[in-house]
Amino acid sequence: MEKVRSHLMLCAGTGCVASGTTKVKAALEEELAKKGLSEEIKIVLTGCNGYCAEGPVMAVYPEEVFYQKLTVEEVPKLVEEHFLKGRPYQKLMFREPEKKTAIPAMKDIPFFKHQVLRVLRNKGLIDPEKIEEYIARDGYQAVAKALTAMTPEEIIKTVKDSGLRGRGGAGFLTGLKWEFASKVPSAVKFMLCNGDEGDPGAFMDRSVMEADPHSVIEGMIIGAKAIGANYGYIYVRAEYPLAVKRLRMAIDQATEAGLLGKNILDTGFDFELDIYLGAGAFVCGEETALMRSIEGKRGMPRPRPPFPAVKGLWDKPSVLNNVETLAQISPIILNGSEWYRSLGTEKSAGTKVFALTGAVNNVGLVEVPMGIPLRTIIYDIGGGIKKGKKFKAVQLGGPSGGCIPEHLLDIPVTYEDIVATGAIVGSGGMVVMDEGTCMVGTAKFFLEFTADESCGKCTPCRVGTKILLDMLTDITEGKGKESDIATLEDLSRDIITTSLCGLGQTAPNPVLSTLRYFKHEYESHIHQKWCKAGVCRNLTTFWIDEKLCKACGACLRACPSKAIVGEKKVPHKIIQELCVNCRTCFDTCKFNSIRILPAGFEGDPNEFLAKTAAGAKEEK
Amino acid sequence: MSAESKILVVDDELVVIKSAERVLKSEGYQIEGALGGREAILKMEQGTYDLVFTDLKMPEVDGITLIRWIKKSRPNIGIVIITGYPSQDTMKEAIELGIIDYVPKPFTPSVLLDVTKRAVEWAEGRKPSEEKAVAEEFPPAMAKELDRVIREYRQRPGCLIPVLQRAQEIVGFLPPVVQKRIAKGLNMPEAEVHSVVSFYSFFTMKPRGDHNVRVCLGTACYVKGIEGVLAKIKDQLKIDIGETTEDRKFSIEGVRCLGACGLAPVMMIDQETYGALTPSKALKIISQYGGPASGQSPEEETAAVAEQEG
Repeated sequence: MEKVRSHLMLCAGTGCVASGTTKVKAALEEELAKKGLSEEIKIVLTGCNGYCAEGPVMAVYPEEVFYQKLTVEEVPKLVEEHFLKGRPYQKLMFREPEKKTAIPAMKDIPFFKHQVLRVLRNKGLIDPEKIEEYIARDGYQAVAKALTAMTPEEIIKTVKDSGLRGRGGAGFLTGLKWEFASKVPSAVKFMLCNGDEGDPGAFMDRSVMEADPHSVIEGMIIGAKAIGANYGYIYVRAEYPLAVKRLRMAIDQATEAGLLGKNILDTGFDFELDIYLGAGAFVCGEETALMRSIEGKRGMPRPRPPFPAVKGLWDKPSVLNNVETLAQISPIILNGSEWYRSLGTEKSAGTKVFALTGAVNNVGLVEVPMGIPLRTIIYDIGGGIKKGKKFKAVQLGGPSGGCIPEHLLDIPVTYEDIVATGAIVGSGGMVVMDEGTCMVGTAKFFLEFTADESCGKCTPCRVGTKILLDMLTDITEGKGKESDIATLEDLSRDIITTSLCGLGQTAPNPVLSTLRYFKHEYESHIHQKWCKAGVCRNLTTFWIDEKLCKACGACLRACPSKAIVGEKKVPHKIIQELCVNCRTCFDTCKFNSIRILPAGFEGDPNEFLAKTAAGAKEEK
Repeated sequence: MSAESKILVVDDELVVIKSAERVLKSEGYQIEGALGGREAILKMEQGTYDLVFTDLKMPEVDGITLIRWIKKSRPNIGIVIITGYPSQDTMKEAIELGIIDYVPKPFTPSVLLDVTKRAVEWAEGRKPSEEKAVAEEFPPAMAKELDRVIREYRQRPGCLIPVLQRAQEIVGFLPPVVQKRIAKGLNMPEAEVHSVVSFYSFFTMKPRGDHNVRVCLGTACYVKGIEGVLAKIKDQLKIDIGETTEDRKFSIEGVRCLGACGLAPVMMIDQETYGALTPSKALKIISQYGGPASGQSPEEETAAVAEQEG
């Protein structure tokens, strides 16, 4: 084997590629060649590292030095310092906000420190396009164990005892699902994988498929053995071209290695696996709809029972598991259910991957033991809110989920505790919102989504979501009525109880959860015509507080409609007749001197703001 | 009128040129030959032709290079491929470049005549208004490729969606003629094909532009201000989501989530992902694809600069 001094694990996930991985790789190769280091230093393109915001990122092994925000310009310096002189290059290392010291090792960086990697066990460590590297990290050992040393009943018992719950949304016990399907006698059964990650704001499945495709395939082979299926499909979104490519490669390699196809590992077990490209429909995340889609039809759900474990794809018993769930299977088989239970809580065992995005400092993929407080994820891993702004809410579970306010941040992240807040764990999208987000607008955003994605089969969902959306639109445009809040609540409950599938049954959640914690925002929209976040254009008046204005001219230059007048050292003023309420000045001002008042405000702003501030205090 | 059509046959084997000449001359076509891509280009520089029949595998200047040259320099000349090795990749490339049809080698006189007749009709029908023809019909080469895909998938259960995906790759979009052809090929009602096309957001019945701008409308992008970016892009290209610019250069598509939330707000142009967008950054990127340059008129720009300096 060739001798290599260092390995440069350069992230080639979608995020880092968009930030310039390809160019950085070329520059690194050129520079290493120039310095005569090409032989001893090897560049490996890995799947998504998870720390997307600071990309392109790279880890140097064996030193474990982590570099971020690589640029072509910095490459020569980096190569000279680190690889010629042996001094890790501080300039490209992680620094904690406010503190100046650079942190060289990945394990010491707060973003990584609190994480426990099980699903993402191979992230940044292997080349996802090589089966050998997966095998070197104990890959396919679980298949060998399950196929040669375990009965289907033993596999199911292990998975059931581990307490692993479906990571796609509903959180149903995976082992139980397998058990149902295994007990239905049928010559033909199907093992399916849901890679149609439809929740906006979630990208863990994409990352797993891109960074570690074999882990999904391995989970599927074990599941197929457990339920007695000989055919399988991975249903992937067509929007994920890289994931499709890597999965195709992985299937070919596994087939060649005798891990897929006929007579796997000489055990007499057959399993054929194929990829099916989805065509873009959110409802296809619902299992019966997804199966219809593989049949080549409109992806519409059907009533259950019969459950897919009895009558699924082409009316044959079928099991559908999510990508992240399947990636958890092989470590469970290898290490046992007790090991899996060593993390998490009684009812929510193990780890869960979250896609942390929005207004936090460190965005990316994080895998944490279940049961840790939300606050740890947002403040310790996420590094708190960007630009020192105030936290307002964290949205969990996408269009089926809800918003969790500040005072609930200390609850542990488990399926039950999150549901109690009105949100759901869902697939793990975690979007953090700061004070500049309007909660009525957020509810409207999600309803736009569900109203558009409703498949139209059942009336409560098709018509109900549209009515909710129309009412929310009216409220954000200043046409809200006194009775709206009660109607929103009533209608939401009706839609939840009468819809056919999960899409309609959860679509009103964003409305209900914002009403529960942010009712005052709805009320100020309706009664005072005041969007305090300054997002709804018809419900705001921007006003410059002359006491705070430093007359720097920043807002004046940024204003697209030239509605701000002022000079150096003379506090600026907004000419309301020209202002289009675009909020540019508000975002530009560094001194927080721009205040938001109700639409068509008349009177003394100082007095008004003082009065509302006092009122808010009293309420508390 | 077909009798006056002038055809240039390009092949490195003289026997192919000779036999094509023998067949087509008797029907009144004017035939000339060229033994390679270079000679063909020289001939086209000097004379005018209605159609070019070309081999793909030729030494020096090969068929694909020749087709590229014709499309760029003589876009009015129709192209037909004569080939013995229709590998899927080269065929796909040739179809994307806009050939009319292909003749497999070896060919019988009747096949050659048939293809020639259709190609001449097609080329003439297209000339006056280059692009309009596409909506109602599409070149025989595309039709053949489509039929091949249908045949390949026909036996598989649930093949409609994969066939539609391939068809959209070949034709670019799924107009009624394409849907009808697929329905016939797969032996299912047209309504069923249409019901699937209209259900999934991936399928489009309108042609897309050369560059498809896919703007992410996911939650993370929403929180980070994609709405402002989208408004600016719409403004600049003067089209809405789901529309294509008049010059067919750009189209805008709103997508649910591109799964690159770490970089929000995000858009994708063709296969490239662009993150951390601001309205002005987005416009700059679009102008790199040949879109209208900076949104400001020259006067406004000077004014802005002056303001900053002042």
